[in-house]
Amino acid sequence: MASLFVIRGNDQGVRFELNGPVLGVGRDSSNAIQLHDNEVSRQHAELRLVDNAYTIRDLNSSNGTFVNGRRVQQHRLQSGDQVQVGSTLMLFTGPLQEEENLSDKVDISSPLQQGDESHIVHSMPQREGSRLFDLQAEVPEGSWLAKARSNLQVMYRTALAVSHTLDIDQLLQRIMDLIFEWVEADRGCIMLIDPETKKLVPKVRRTRKGVRADEKISISKTILDYVLERNEGVLTTNAREDTRWNPAASILQLGIREAICVPMQGRYDVVGVIYIDTSTTPQEVLRKGGASKFTEDHLKLMIAIAHQAALAVEDTRYYSAMVQAERLAAIGQTIATVSHHIKNILQGIRGGSYLIEMGLAEHDESLVRKGWAIVEKNQSKISNLVMDMLTFSKEREPDLVPADMNRVVADVVELMQARAAECQVTLQYTQAPDMPVLVFDPEGIHRAVLNVVTNAIDAAAEASAPGVVRVATEYAPGECKVRVIVEDNGPGIPPEQMDTLFSPFVSTKKSRGTGLGLPVSQKILHEHGGKIWVQSAVGQGARFVLELPAVLGQTEAHSLAPDRTA
Amino acid sequence: MVATPSVLIVDPSEETREVLKTALERRGVRTLSAGHIRPALRMMKEHNPDLVVLDAEASGDAPDAACSLLSREKPPPLPRIVVLGSFRRPPPSGEGCDFVAKPYHYGPLIRRIEELLTAVGCGPRSA
Repeated sequence: MASLFVIRGNDQGVRFELNGPVLGVGRDSSNAIQLHDNEVSRQHAELRLVDNAYTIRDLNSSNGTFVNGRRVQQHRLQSGDQVQVGSTLMLFTGPLQEEENLSDKVDISSPLQQGDESHIVHSMPQREGSRLFDLQAEVPEGSWLAKARSNLQVMYRTALAVSHTLDIDQLLQRIMDLIFEWVEADRGCIMLIDPETKKLVPKVRRTRKGVRADEKISISKTILDYVLERNEGVLTTNAREDTRWNPAASILQLGIREAICVPMQGRYDVVGVIYIDTSTTPQEVLRKGGASKFTEDHLKLMIAIAHQAALAVEDTRYYSAMVQAERLAAIGQTIATVSHHIKNILQGIRGGSYLIEMGLAEHDESLVRKGWAIVEKNQSKISNLVMDMLTFSKEREPDLVPADMNRVVADVVELMQARAAECQVTLQYTQAPDMPVLVFDPEGIHRAVLNVVTNAIDAAAEASAPGVVRVATEYAPGECKVRVIVEDNGPGIPPEQMDTLFSPFVSTKKSRGTGLGLPVSQKILHEHGGKIWVQSAVGQGARFVLELPAVLGQTEAHSLAPDRTA
Repeated sequence: MVATPSVLIVDPSEETREVLKTALERRGVRTLSAGHIRPALRMMKEHNPDLVVLDAEASGDAPDAACSLLSREKPPPLPRIVVLGSFRRPPPSGEGCDFVAKPYHYGPLIRRIEELLTAVGCGPRSA
């Protein structure tokens, strides 16, 4: 389904699914895409579905509608387009196109099939690809072919440099290094336009070896303005003779001999500039016969490099914005789920308190007890919620000590008997007879088993037959594993819920579940180097297996040692 | 002789059902309760309660949709329905439905139930 995903603005992280022929965009609540942005008009724009594609039309809004940085009255949207209304920036994803099924037209044949007698005549590792542009001895230096190859090599290396990082500073540093390898520049810098202030901010600065590194790079504002306003790269070999320039004081004062300054033109906008310069002494000019260090070829290639770098900067910024937006959306969802659960607990506490108050007023102790039982139950719920959130939120090492697995599971069963009875569920426990003392985190495993048993009781309470939960421990010395098995005869888990069973904050128990129980159990098992899995079919209950490595306690290891050597 | 007023409590939370049941029965109101909308519909048809207290989560629907569902399924006369739900601003009451935002306080809720029962001519006795 087509969507608009807010990557900047008050609604950052919100995804609007586009599921109608005409959808309004604006501040008013009547809009399908309602934006909480004061710079957006009440009825700002509309999206219209025509031929399986959405067109955005501005509805004479005060601040206009922009697509990819350009103001539009009407624009047919394509996937990847950035739509800006007010200060809200959204990313458009188009409807799914029906794709041609190519599986009948492309066949991967097996070696045994007839008709494919192809054999490999030459192979080449990936790294060899970069040598495609290496200058060969037979190509005369300075010839057009040598230049073309050299240029291609620079572009190839630029493409590689920008494709291997999502860190903008690192990326720009690589670009600058590459430029210095290829051109005889004395100094260089890359400046990016700050998206908020719209001012140029230096990001990378470099000087050639032998040039004073602490020397300040002063760049003519006249040059920068020209480059940014006209979106053109400039080469100046001698600023005073260049007819395009006013003999602006800044250039005269700075005494620039040769400089290249190019805009970093991305997909949507200019994101910054790359500047390099060099000074040539009169002696050198005389010696070289007046030849310039920077040529038009350098300018062309710098423009191409800057474009590549700008695309990478845009991609990186876009990716960061997406990550940030997704993170905000996830935080929002988490807060909503936890708040909902806390609200239910609060409701329970209010109910209990109300009964206590009523009991005190009526001098009815049984009513006070009833109310207090509800309050206590909800205290326990909030305590479990907090413990689960803490367990889930932090990376921790399990507190491994020698402990009795049968005892830990027995404690859980004992603790849950009252709840099982309340739900009219029979809770049974079978201990493994040969369970040795094992090294594990008893508190963690207690919580992991408790969460699974709680779910099993809730599930068994919904069984059409009398609810039963069977808990068992199993020791498999041959596999060096210990298992806790929890089975219920509840309604079972539908296949479509299997994939999200261990996802945090996804609960099938509606208001009764936090959606943290199983993810926490899974995390604890993973911390032990173990795992948890489930077998279930609708109408046939569920069987959860918690498996962890059976690490023998020191006493057990000693007592078993003679057997092993026997 | 005034008939005993009756209230059907539909709420997935056993605690809430228990609290409302206890409070209302002490005021002389007969209560029925269900944890889900399906048995509640059956009870509504069988017992024709004067008022229904429905937690929207029991039907898995939005609060107003839950109210419409009960109204649609039940042949007239329709009981007054109090819908408990999570919403920023409760929708305006009307068409036999009142909306109370969660988390709510039991005192005001019980008083509202009493008022509604009185309005339909079957007010509870004073507690």
